[in-house]
Amino acid sequence: MAKVLLEAQDLHLSFRGVKALVGISFSVSEGDLFAVIGPNGAGKTSLLNVLSGLYKPQQGRVSFLGEDLAPLSPQERVRRGLGRTFQNLELFRGMTVLDNVKLGAELAVGTYTDLLPKASVEWRIRRHAEEVLDYLHLSPYRHVPAGALPYGLQKRVEVARALAGRPKLLLLDEPMAGLSLEEKQDLARFLLDARREWGVTLVLVEHDLKAVLELSTGVMVMSYGEVLYQGEPAGVREDRRVAEAYLGRSA
Amino acid sequence: MYRLSQTLTDAFSRRFSRTVREDYRQDEAYASTPQGRFWLGLALVGLLLLPLLLPQYPMFVATQILVAALAGLGLHLLVGGAGQISLGQAAFVGIGAYVSSHLSGDLAPLGILLGGLVAGAIGVVLGIPSLRIKGVYLAIATLAFQFLADYVFKRWTEFTGGVAGRKLPAEATFLGLPLADDRVVFYIGLAFAIPMFFYAKRLLSTRAGRAWFAVRDNDLSAQLSGVDLVRSKLTAFALSAFYGGVAGGILMHLLGAVTPDNFVLAFSIQYLAIVIVGGAGTILGAVLGAFFIVLIPELLSVVAGAFGPQYVAQLSAWRSVAFGALILLFLILEPRGLVGLWGRIRDYFRTWPLPY
Repeated sequence: MAKVLLEAQDLHLSFRGVKALVGISFSVSEGDLFAVIGPNGAGKTSLLNVLSGLYKPQQGRVSFLGEDLAPLSPQERVRRGLGRTFQNLELFRGMTVLDNVKLGAELAVGTYTDLLPKASVEWRIRRHAEEVLDYLHLSPYRHVPAGALPYGLQKRVEVARALAGRPKLLLLDEPMAGLSLEEKQDLARFLLDARREWGVTLVLVEHDLKAVLELSTGVMVMSYGEVLYQGEPAGVREDRRVAEAYLGRSA
Repeated sequence: MYRLSQTLTDAFSRRFSRTVREDYRQDEAYASTPQGRFWLGLALVGLLLLPLLLPQYPMFVATQILVAALAGLGLHLLVGGAGQISLGQAAFVGIGAYVSSHLSGDLAPLGILLGGLVAGAIGVVLGIPSLRIKGVYLAIATLAFQFLADYVFKRWTEFTGGVAGRKLPAEATFLGLPLADDRVVFYIGLAFAIPMFFYAKRLLSTRAGRAWFAVRDNDLSAQLSGVDLVRSKLTAFALSAFYGGVAGGILMHLLGAVTPDNFVLAFSIQYLAIVIVGGAGTILGAVLGAFFIVLIPELLSVVAGAFGPQYVAQLSAWRSVAFGALILLFLILEPRGLVGLWGRIRDYFRTWPLPY
């Protein structure tokens, strides 16, 4: 039994009358590729925002590496190894790809007081960033402002930035949305490689059912803030409630 | 013979006119190529020799440019770096000037430094509203600070000398050299400016700069990349004010006196014009912007003088018009400022006679 990294117990989140999350519980073990799927408005992104600290749940608790996350701010959670990417690109558009990745790499390399630059640390950050750029085939674009790249590459830069911080667990919010088939396949391969090479545990929110079922080791299906199914990916297609939520009742 | 010339040309292009960065270390350096280093060195030597070449009045203007560049650079870090707008830079220049006016003579550099530090500390206070408000609202808050500072400069007579201001004793000397001589002030200013420019360059290309740019581009995502927003914004405000304060100290020694009308809103706008015209967020932009902004009034006064002395009186009004028009023109036509313009010119001439 692998070590449990992230554990959520009975999460409740509502915006006034709208119940975004209703009693969500799950746990992710080290080395997992845990997928969260569900139709639009199921509360998947809300769940990630709770995990990374942007929303405060009204009830329930989240623990990471056995530590309760409630008192920690978003940036403290990131520093503890809980990385995050966004559905709609949230890159630093005016910064070069290299600077984007370097910013992420600081988390992994360690850092210095920002008013006293240290060449040796900066140099380690650079080398680390280059390694990640090389890995994700982004080296040719290192001096291009991130905002000037095509969409598929921007998505990859965002993954690179998050991976450069060597998170223990990475929350990916629909990394494949809007990508072409080739780009999806590339990204899937990068993610699997990162998991194997650096031992990054992945939590993936995704619409693409096929990708999820092929990649993941565990699946949670959500609908209207509730868990419909949790378990092996193979069981998803057989589950009646999932089929109803996705395809309608008559299916 | 052909072989020889080939070897020589090859050696020359490898050694000297190399424009390709071959490894990461060159990428991280201040000036990455031999040509870059050559120009940087030439500029530094030129700056050191400048007082020997220029007569009295151009030297005064050169020192003004230096002051404007330093204060503008501070604002560059804040506006172009961290993306926080400020209309209060002149107030920090004023704080630096008043503080250093109390420590002149042999202690002049210490006074200038102290002025910078006091301005920096007050800058942190001004930075606090930026934690909650952004954009136009922040601009209004800094505007309020500008007026408040103006009021204090005029009313706190014990410290600032009120509307009349404070005057340095004309016979003040620094290590035996007369401070009334602009060349001495220029060298003192240079001793501050050169390290501060290199420091700013270094900051922008390392952790602090990345954090600032991240805050500018996307503060949500910055937070989730481990950037401490509070810390980043406050250090940007503090540094910006520090640069302004040091510039103020130098300006005070240049003018030999300090009066409140050197630190009114129009000057804050002038510093903002340096940032926008120069090209926000770049070091070179601060220098080019300062050149432009200081030389335009000089040029205007020459032009007005040529038309007749009666026009010179209206000059200060026209100066504001010229700045306003310039800011607008640059925002519309070349948002990257003079640096962007220079880049375009350079790219054009790189392939010049045969563009294809």
